Amino acid sequence: MSGIVEQAESRDDHAACIAWQSLLARIPYARHLGLEVQLGQTGIEVHLPYREALVGNSKLPALHGGVIGGLIEITARVAAQDQDTRARRPRILDCNIDYLRSARARSTFASAEVVRHGRRTGVVQVTCRQEGASAWIARGRIQLLFPATDR
Amino acid sequence: MLLPGSDPVAVVRQFSEQVPHSRDLGMEVVAVEADRVRMRLAPPQWLRADDGADEICSGVLYSLADSAAGLAVFAAAQELSPIATLDLRMDYLRPATIDRALLAIAGCLHITDEVAFVRCEIFSEGKAQPVATGSATFMRNTPGQRFKTFNEQEDGT
Repeated sequence: MSGIVEQAESRDDHAACIAWQSLLARIPYARHLGLEVQLGQTGIEVHLPYREALVGNSKLPALHGGVIGGLIEITARVAAQDQDTRARRPRILDCNIDYLRSARARSTFASAEVVRHGRRTGVVQVTCRQEGASAWIARGRIQLLFPATDR
Repeated sequence: MLLPGSDPVAVVRQFSEQVPHSRDLGMEVVAVEADRVRMRLAPPQWLRADDGADEICSGVLYSLADSAAGLAVFAAAQELSPIATLDLRMDYLRPATIDRALLAIAGCLHITDEVAFVRCEIFSEGKAQPVATGSATFMRNTPGQRFKTFNEQEDGT
């Protein structure tokens, strides 16, 4: 029985991955950053592969805080749009990010939790971790506004 | 350290030009006045919010605000001692259209040896009202390698 449930879940995850990927593919900046969707241990994750162009501090080296900001905002947008029954493209109203640890020169993964999905607004929390470590390096909370008409 | 008599715009610009991500997006330092920094970003087409949208992706405004705010800490401190962003909050007041360059003005509200508080406004060039505002807190003199001082950069050491 549990095997059937797991199978159903994995099929849902697979379908969600494809949906997220198609939403990401429409965002030029996401393509520039090289963002890709994958299934992680805790569900769907957006993977930001490391590139030298993402660095903010060459000495450490560490990723630019803005790169983490972009990853978090785009992940929040895709998560909110994916949950919307009319697939409306939300507009980000505000974004609040806490930087918890230095983002090293390696792959970064963002996971989203849709805290609230209302008729007009949504709240998404996004957490980021890096390859080889489970500790969060950043956490963001994003408020989004859904357009009144379908787009 | 910013040398007495050195051009702060040149020092901050030189630092900013060495940041790979800032270079990637095409950010440039326009002016440095006391504890305020002005940056400009002429958006290429790949910074659109969506294929076909006239709007710039908000993540780009986020990066510009983070960069300008960090440079404002250096300007206020009058030195390039290492900093780390603790948090940054952005409010996206109105869409920023892709046909206009972005201008960021960041100013340090308060600075101590340990922390710095910065506010940043982003404008679409030629418009009076900001498209976004940012509020950042930085940790100062963070451990790890120090950046080369302006002196060392000139010496090439």
